[in-house]
Amino acid sequence: MEQRPELAVDPVRPWARAQVMLPVFVPFSLIGGLLPSFSLAANLYVLALGGGMMLAGMSSRLPRRAAPPTLLPGVAWWLVPIAVFVVVEVVTFALGSTHDYPTLSLLADPLLDGYLLRSLAYFGWLAGFWGLVRR
Amino acid sequence: MSLTRFLAIAGFVLAGLAVLAVEWAARRPDSRVPTVGDVAALVMRYDVSGIPVGRLAILSFWFWLGWHFLAR
Repeated sequence: MEQRPELAVDPVRPWARAQVMLPVFVPFSLIGGLLPSFSLAANLYVLALGGGMMLAGMSSRLPRRAAPPTLLPGVAWWLVPIAVFVVVEVVTFALGSTHDYPTLSLLADPLLDGYLLRSLAYFGWLAGFWGLVRR
Repeated sequence: MSLTRFLAIAGFVLAGLAVLAVEWAARRPDSRVPTVGDVAALVMRYDVSGIPVGRLAILSFWFWLGWHFLAR
């Protein structure tokens, strides 16, 4: 049976499977959760961790999935959530990012002060990298 | 809670729900909407004179998100 080229997927290396990589991110997330926002330690940790992962992501050593040759015509639907977010963020930012006009980061800050949510946010950030880097 | 704060939170929630809805629609059989992964994949394959500009842009945005929410 002939396989269409745009559907061809590189064989996944065992270490590159999500079941292997995602648990690796757990200790990094638990450590990151200990470091408070605006601290030097948190800045250095994100710079080191994110910088190292960006270098890995820019190299061609990590396995990548086949990209679609073109985008489907319904791609414009993605403009809906983007437009809603941009409008709210720009308006609240322009009005000073205050309690009455909060930007997303102002709303997120108190949530990310807690260890559990902060660690989960680190895990989501790292998992997001893994989702992107194989593209 | 003031009305403007409520509207701002509702706007962000609406944007998040819209992301979930579009992604759900994209994953349906024979969908004409690409998944967010497909969109990212195509952008990340964009090169200019051999320089992976798309990949650099997407990964830089990922890095900025982590720095903005977790470090600064």
